[in-house]
Amino acid sequence: MIGRGYLPIILVTLVIALTPLVISSNSFFNFTVLVLIIALAAQGWNLLGGIGGQTSFGHAMFFGIGAYTASILQTHLGVNAWISLVAAIAAGALAGLIVGFLSFRAGLRGSYFALVTLAFAELLRVLANASELTGGAAGLLLKLDPGFANMQFSSRPTFMLLALAFVFVSLVITQKIVNSRFGAHLVAVRENEDAAKALGVDVLTVKLKAISLSGAMTAAAGVLYVQYFLYIDSGIAFGIWISIEALLAPMIGGRGMVLGPLIGAFTLHGLGEVTKSFAGRVPGIDLMVFAVVLIVVIAFASSGILGLIRKLADRFSSKGGA
Amino acid sequence: MKIIDTAFNRRTVLKGGAAALVTMAAPAIARGAEPAPIKVGILQPVTGALAQDGEYGRMGAELAIEDINKAGGIKALGGAKIEMVFGDARSTPEAGTQEVERMQEQGVSAIVGGFASPICLAGSQAAARYDLPYIVDVGVTDQIIQRGLKNTFRFAPGFALCTGAAIQNLVKINEASGKAAKTVALVHEDGLFGTGLAKLMAAELPKYGFEILELIAVPTPSRDLSNVVLRLRSLNPDLVIPSTYYGETVLLARTMQQQRVRPKAVYSVLNGAASNRRFVKEFPEAAENVMDCNHRHDPRNEKAVALQKRVEAAGKVYNYNVPLNYSCVGLLADAIERAASGDRKKIIEALGTSTFAGHLMPYAATKFENGQNMGAAPVSTQVQGGDIKVVFPETFANAKPKFPANG
Repeated sequence: MIGRGYLPIILVTLVIALTPLVISSNSFFNFTVLVLIIALAAQGWNLLGGIGGQTSFGHAMFFGIGAYTASILQTHLGVNAWISLVAAIAAGALAGLIVGFLSFRAGLRGSYFALVTLAFAELLRVLANASELTGGAAGLLLKLDPGFANMQFSSRPTFMLLALAFVFVSLVITQKIVNSRFGAHLVAVRENEDAAKALGVDVLTVKLKAISLSGAMTAAAGVLYVQYFLYIDSGIAFGIWISIEALLAPMIGGRGMVLGPLIGAFTLHGLGEVTKSFAGRVPGIDLMVFAVVLIVVIAFASSGILGLIRKLADRFSSKGGA
Repeated sequence: MKIIDTAFNRRTVLKGGAAALVTMAAPAIARGAEPAPIKVGILQPVTGALAQDGEYGRMGAELAIEDINKAGGIKALGGAKIEMVFGDARSTPEAGTQEVERMQEQGVSAIVGGFASPICLAGSQAAARYDLPYIVDVGVTDQIIQRGLKNTFRFAPGFALCTGAAIQNLVKINEASGKAAKTVALVHEDGLFGTGLAKLMAAELPKYGFEILELIAVPTPSRDLSNVVLRLRSLNPDLVIPSTYYGETVLLARTMQQQRVRPKAVYSVLNGAASNRRFVKEFPEAAENVMDCNHRHDPRNEKAVALQKRVEAAGKVYNYNVPLNYSCVGLLADAIERAASGDRKKIIEALGTSTFAGHLMPYAATKFENGQNMGAAPVSTQVQGGDIKVVFPETFANAKPKFPANG
């Protein structure tokens, strides 16, 4: 039998995986790839910020470390793309461990932790902009050479399936954590750190585990980004945009819920695309929709779309029972 | 009665049917007189950080399409009109890629624009999947043309052409003045753009008899440059070469004005402010005599001057993006004309052999080598009497360089 919470994950993944059978628009696949990459980065954020309650404002650092590690290994050292991927994920985990050790050991919480992560991301952005290793302000360009060995695919649906596989794995890992004792510890830390400590939870270890897993996931998203667009510079890799994307998707979809980031990313960007096709002549109209959705969700559904659905479902079922 | 009624009805139906057929056929006949339009994708960032530049670019492309259609469209295709499919790249490569995909689905024959290097890199690569011709308007990084993409053409000069021309122009201007300038101080922003440029200048200029006194790095953004200017005062160079963005250049020029540091010339390269109308308008005294080597329209070209008047009469700012995009669309229309087809491969072939000369830029005849227009070159400008004048090369100049400007 399938364990608790896995059925929706499998269903959602199947629905996306089957789209190439009915849709042939490359514009759709290109859109879905970007959404999946954002969902993966956001799942990393969700693990630490949503489930663990450690709000980060600088997940761009993991995204950028992943993207730059994969590109530098491939362009400077000629390492195979898949090996670079593994190295990049490891680098993301290590970065998480280092940043986590420095900030959590110093007891940073809440907005202080958020500011420190932001500072780390900005620091890395400035360094990447100046260093020769990262190509400085000119950035790094991967050679366009489609083929499985290079992790580049000339067909957009194939890359979408690859990105989907990553998202699926991240969803399963997150669900597994939620179901586990470690997940319970994380929630305990989120709800009341001092109480958790009093109950014998090793708070530092729990947080460190969470941030390194989180870093690894977001780094994988960075690798997918560079394998898809084949170009990064410091503003793309360590820019504030991805920190915000990674944080908004779970906020909209459902913070701390396993499918939250994926639903959030699809809702935000999907609405943007739909408006653009209806009112394409007005520049920035999709961004306005973005803002309206954000305001509405924050104002009326503070636990996100999934939280709202769950609340409504509870209300209906309790009415039915009464 | 009944029979008559039926007959009457049948006749009415027949008449109505015939009339309907004629009505339906009429637009088809009318359509036959006017060939199907050629769709052209115009990609510009009109929202986000680069919105201002994107808006200039869009204006240029729009005006060009308007003019081509007014003049009878593509003659080789029976006067087919050009139809613009606009895409907002939102100042990011991801959004640019998504717009290229959308344009592809709408069946465009080619794409023009991009403005920023990352958008041009991502957009041209996405277009390459479909053999879709892509004309880069600005995108200065030379990586754009080093990827071997057959569909990508850059009409304007890139980094290598710009810096090469900047040094050559400076050497010639200096020689014409009897070598008035000998010592040089380089002020550069500390990113790759400024550092790369300053290093290149420091390596090249001594070959022409210049003495490099110092390289001064400036962070972006900077709020105060008093120390830099004090250093310049004590070095007392003949020539100050700033390679900085808009804000820092304005700050440097104003601080130099306040502290009365007057080198013989300020000569910048691909500078963010030195040939920008806003700078000249807002700080005319600080901007006076500042030189720049940058993109610019050909001031001797009547069509370019007319375009400038037309844009300014509409109350809009005329920046180099306007004539550049106007010219890029012209280059494409010329290629479609010669290809006599909206077929992408034929257009790519026609672009590759283009010798287009009907543009507004100070370029020699168009000649593409590996996708780079080798006829393209920047010009040296100088702010004179509150106006930006082209001072070099002489074939395009509308003023003589005031060199040395002071002393």
